[in-house]
Amino acid sequence: MLFLRSEEHLERWLDANGWEPGASMSAATLNELARRWWRSRLEPDWRPRTAAESQAILDQVGLSGDFWRLT
Amino acid sequence: MGIRNEVYSSFIATGTAPGADDVAGALGLDENAVAVAFRRLHDAHALVLRPGTTEIRMLNPFSAVPTPHRVEAAGRSWYANCAWDALGIPSALHTDGAVRSDCPDCGEQLELEVLDGELVRGAELLVHFVVPARRWWDDVAFT
Repeated sequence: MLFLRSEEHLERWLDANGWEPGASMSAATLNELARRWWRSRLEPDWRPRTAAESQAILDQVGLSGDFWRLT
Repeated sequence: MGIRNEVYSSFIATGTAPGADDVAGALGLDENAVAVAFRRLHDAHALVLRPGTTEIRMLNPFSAVPTPHRVEAAGRSWYANCAWDALGIPSALHTDGAVRSDCPDCGEQLELEVLDGELVRGAELLVHFVVPARRWWDDVAFT
């Protein structure tokens, strides 16, 4: 996924590529997600999360609904 | 040190993904055993290999190949795989960071800055996910 300047830029970009809109969020929300999602990645005892654990992180930042279901 | 930790340590220090031979040499292991471990880590989504090889393409949130997302943190810089990973690098390193990317519509440079975990610059920018979450790993390079 990419950063875009604004909603207007997003709409033009989707039209230019013939893509249906997916889901958008502010970069601020993505940062909240990134903080939770990646903060343990470099810990020596890191293990892949279960789908339920990852889903819980999406839920914590308000990303709920069918688009955000991992399974 | 485990193979995964050695791969990350090497990549963070050099900006270049180590090969199985490099990791084998650093840890005193057999190269074939390290290659098998790379494939196991790939299958566990702990890293991403180029198809049909043991060359590392993604060491999430870092990218082993150039992308539009450049991240500076802790006096170094790396490429990230996507917007999410770009903001993930300061998080993973537990440090402040600056992200430079490009708007795919107008081509203008976009700048973001993370300070003490907060996005203090670029917070108004948008991020768009084209692909629903359950299909992210169908093609993890396109989400």
